[in-house]
Amino acid sequence: MLAAAGFHVPNLDYHALAPEIVVAATLAVVLVADLFLDDDNKWLLSNVSGWGLLVALFFTIELGARGHTASMVGGAYVVDDFALVLKGLFLVVGYIVLLMSANYVEEGDYYEGEFYFLILCSLLGMVVMSSARDLITIFVALETLSLPAYMLAGWRKRDLRSNEASLKYYLLGVLASAVMLYGMSLVFGFSGSTLLVDIGKATQGTITHAPLVTVGIFFIAVGFAFKVSAVPFHFWAPDTYEGAPTPVTAFLSVASKTGGFVALLQIIYIGFIGRSDVWGPMFWALAALTMTVGNLIALRQTNIVRLLAYSSIAQAGYILVPFAVAGSNTKSIHSAFTASVVYLLIYAAMNLGAFTVVIAVARKTRSGDIASFGGLYEYAPGLTVLMTVFLFSLAGIPPLAGAWAKIFVFRAVLDSGTSSAVALGIVAAVNAVIALFYYASVARVMWMSPVPDGDRTPIRIPATLQAALGLTVLVVVAIGIYPQLFAHLGDVASLVR
Amino acid sequence: MLGFPVLTALIVLPAIGAALVVAIPRTRPEIVKVVALAVSVAVLVLACYGLYEFATGTAGFQFVSRHVWIKQWGISWHLGIDGISLFLVVLTALLFPFALAGSDAHHDVKAYTAWMLVLEAGCLGVFLALDLFLFFVFWEIVLVPMYFLIGGWGYEGRVYAALKFFIYTMTGSALMLVGILALVFIHAGHTGHLTFDLQTLAREQSFSGSTARWLFAAFAVSFAIKVPIFPLHTWLPDAHTEAPTAGSVILAGVLLKLGTYGFLRFGLYLFPKVSHDLAPLLLTLGVVGIIYGAIVAAVQRDLKRLIAYSSVAHLGFIILGTFALTTQGVQGGIIQMVNHGLSTGALFLLVGMIYERRHTREIADLGGLQKVAPVFAGVFMLVMLSSVGLPGLNGFVGEFLVLIGTFISRRWWAVVAATGVILAAVYLLWAYQRVFHGVPEGENLKFPELRWREGAVLAPVLALIVFLGVYPKPVLDRMEPSVRTLVERVDRQAGTHQPSVAQGGHR
Amino acid sequence: MTVPGAWFLTLAAILFVVGAVGLLVRRNVLVMFMCVELMLNAVNLTFVTFARMLDDIGGQVVVFFVLVVAAAEVVVGLGIIVAIFRRRAGATADDISLLRG
Repeated sequence: MLAAAGFHVPNLDYHALAPEIVVAATLAVVLVADLFLDDDNKWLLSNVSGWGLLVALFFTIELGARGHTASMVGGAYVVDDFALVLKGLFLVVGYIVLLMSANYVEEGDYYEGEFYFLILCSLLGMVVMSSARDLITIFVALETLSLPAYMLAGWRKRDLRSNEASLKYYLLGVLASAVMLYGMSLVFGFSGSTLLVDIGKATQGTITHAPLVTVGIFFIAVGFAFKVSAVPFHFWAPDTYEGAPTPVTAFLSVASKTGGFVALLQIIYIGFIGRSDVWGPMFWALAALTMTVGNLIALRQTNIVRLLAYSSIAQAGYILVPFAVAGSNTKSIHSAFTASVVYLLIYAAMNLGAFTVVIAVARKTRSGDIASFGGLYEYAPGLTVLMTVFLFSLAGIPPLAGAWAKIFVFRAVLDSGTSSAVALGIVAAVNAVIALFYYASVARVMWMSPVPDGDRTPIRIPATLQAALGLTVLVVVAIGIYPQLFAHLGDVASLVR
Repeated sequence: MLGFPVLTALIVLPAIGAALVVAIPRTRPEIVKVVALAVSVAVLVLACYGLYEFATGTAGFQFVSRHVWIKQWGISWHLGIDGISLFLVVLTALLFPFALAGSDAHHDVKAYTAWMLVLEAGCLGVFLALDLFLFFVFWEIVLVPMYFLIGGWGYEGRVYAALKFFIYTMTGSALMLVGILALVFIHAGHTGHLTFDLQTLAREQSFSGSTARWLFAAFAVSFAIKVPIFPLHTWLPDAHTEAPTAGSVILAGVLLKLGTYGFLRFGLYLFPKVSHDLAPLLLTLGVVGIIYGAIVAAVQRDLKRLIAYSSVAHLGFIILGTFALTTQGVQGGIIQMVNHGLSTGALFLLVGMIYERRHTREIADLGGLQKVAPVFAGVFMLVMLSSVGLPGLNGFVGEFLVLIGTFISRRWWAVVAATGVILAAVYLLWAYQRVFHGVPEGENLKFPELRWREGAVLAPVLALIVFLGVYPKPVLDRMEPSVRTLVERVDRQAGTHQPSVAQGGHR
Repeated sequence: MTVPGAWFLTLAAILFVVGAVGLLVRRNVLVMFMCVELMLNAVNLTFVTFARMLDDIGGQVVVFFVLVVAAAEVVVGLGIIVAIFRRRAGATADDISLLRG
């Protein structure tokens, strides 16, 4: 009967799927091992997870180095340079988050095994997302990465604030999924396929101007706007970020957001590239609002995690800028795509670094108030310098990596050259200055304010956190000084030719 | 040219010095100080070597060092020096050991010294860079150490002043970055190759009049904040007053010159026509700055603030000379940059010494110091007269050339600006009178005389003040070809001619 | 007699709007969950209708995925609610507002 329906066993390229398989196997091992380990040996799980990610990363790099590409299940699952670069990013981010959480989870009152299991689950969703070129695959990947994240946000389950973080994230997350799915159903109805490539052909062809397609594109974009916390769909983000355990916040603000952007990149640049008349203005408004509102609210934050939350909302605005200006010509599409990818890669390093410092400092101060960073320089000069590097990189001061991220965005704006693009470029430039104000304020507190409680005992930083700090600062500085290597990744990763 | 990369060494040396200082344990501040002084003196020696080897009578860039940095973007490590930047480099190299030796940090010497050396590397980089991107990187690097120096080692209102300084200049930088990128990508759009190289961009002018005007505006606002030109100057009095002594010396002596240098190197050179078109606006702002700075300085009660406002007036002269767009005017502007660096730098150091002795900067609290510390008063008098522009001292040469240069091309602005010279004499001499004349009372009776060490630090600057006032020819000769080429370029592009008087200058 | 596809699509659109409005208006978390389910089922209906109209099996396959994911979502959501119920008595979204700013 299967044969009658024209069913063929899909021809899978298991070598190309190696990273996914390794991550899946690792999470299975972690889940089972957790059952048999007593509390004293739970630390093994973080090691197992870490090694699993490293092995997956090895396969990703190996595939990339050999130029191995594959297109499976009729083009719904594609392993190409774009997919590999982003898989690599997700795995590295996952590894750094594990480094950040190892001591945090061990010392706090948390379930350890399940924590690592859920992080790995979510990462699996992201790794799959990088290859998903079909609406169904994208949907499944998105849910795979989101569902564990909802639970992780509420990981401090005896703390009402963490519960609240989780609930808010969950409710808005599922709403976004539903809206996005409805959009997908409309697009499917008019293009007759869930494959992005087919949709791309269809939206450039006959059905171009069916109003329901417009509605469909709009709904899908709104759904992802929730996921990447673009204003005005951002309200869950600061609350969730503040309530969740800090390593989870780092994970959400970097990995989960990147996941949303990866899906958006594929859907927009493959599926809807012919309809920039619909999404161009929409992303313009989203980008301008997200940058401006994110920065303005960040200005009056007193909690460092909330400040970073709003800063990451604003950063998402910069990542949206290339989307808004992509539509005008082939060259600008290319440079817009590269700009978004490069920004995502750099953003991951600097934001994770900043969160790692927050975790390290909170080990001593047990507080998230910016005021608790007062006089940090006097007892933790190393951390202060690192935090300053990350903050100034986020602000876009050369020669740090963040400057390059912004330069790529401005290049996209100028390559587009339309007056609306230039206007958005000016909005972005003004925002860069506003953002500087609060980044510099944090730096000011660390370097110039007195220690609030006069307690100058140095901070002991565990080796795992040191490793996380070392990795992130290395990336931020190395990219800043020698961006070729990295810009190359951005070029290679392009989906648009 | 010699194989040794002098210019690269000028930037790398202080950077290495900063790294060395960071490596020294915090418990040994005396080693820190020795290392920092040794490094900055070595930089000065290198700069003097450059001055010695500099080929007089050549307009082009010398000691050029060029290495590809980021190939895809056409960015290179491109350094060079010409008559315009030569003396600013030497001035920078001179003022850093001067500031380091002349004042001490009251706490955490190590971090303070490291920031100073980073600042030196950044400042030299700005003056030497011939690549727009490289220039921008150094421009930003300069900000960060200055922010921490003011905020960490300044006086009561330091944190506010530091943030104000940072935000102001950063706003300008953001605009300039947009300007640089727009310039480069528009150029790439026309010619098909991406480059940040200053000379290439200037040679292949490729934008329409209105685009050029916008681009110039982006650069000009950024430079104008740094200079600062009149309506954008409000950060300066706060930053100067609250900064530690060495910070004020560097801020006035070097940092403000980054803006005026920027106008010459990037404003006039890249946008000759627009510079010519907008000259009246900038001349007017310059003149307003001269008068406004002088009047506000006259009513200050705080000696340091008074000098800060006098900087606004002096920088107005430099802008005036620059946008007179005559050889004399531009030359006067450059030599005035050097003069202002020497005299205001020394004035800030002297005010710092007064504060160390008396713990006040209020003019009303001081008085009669001439009786108890005649040598100190004499030194102060000399420096102040240089700032006033007394003939025979360096300040006169600069102001005179600026006024002549402006008079040739824009008569009325020169006439109004000349009143600024008189005003400067009024407020500075009046301040001197209140601080040093009269009968000393109370604390002022115990005012210590100038120490040997302080005298040794000040001596080279005083010597230069006199030397440049009496015999400025060597300086003028070295900068003349470059300036003449620049002014001719502006004339050619703007389709104007200099009045014949201006051509007949000394050769 | 066959009902035209457009009617199903309209029904689905109405269900979707009802669900969305309910999610935004109602404050009881359990009712909010139900509204999400309503929205997802509206999506399912749309997919099935289009699959029928286009004679394409793909649309019906999507429904299976959506059903499975919806079930997983409910499990997670109920878990979160249980965690909150343990700490306090009611499950009204407005009460859960420690985090602001």
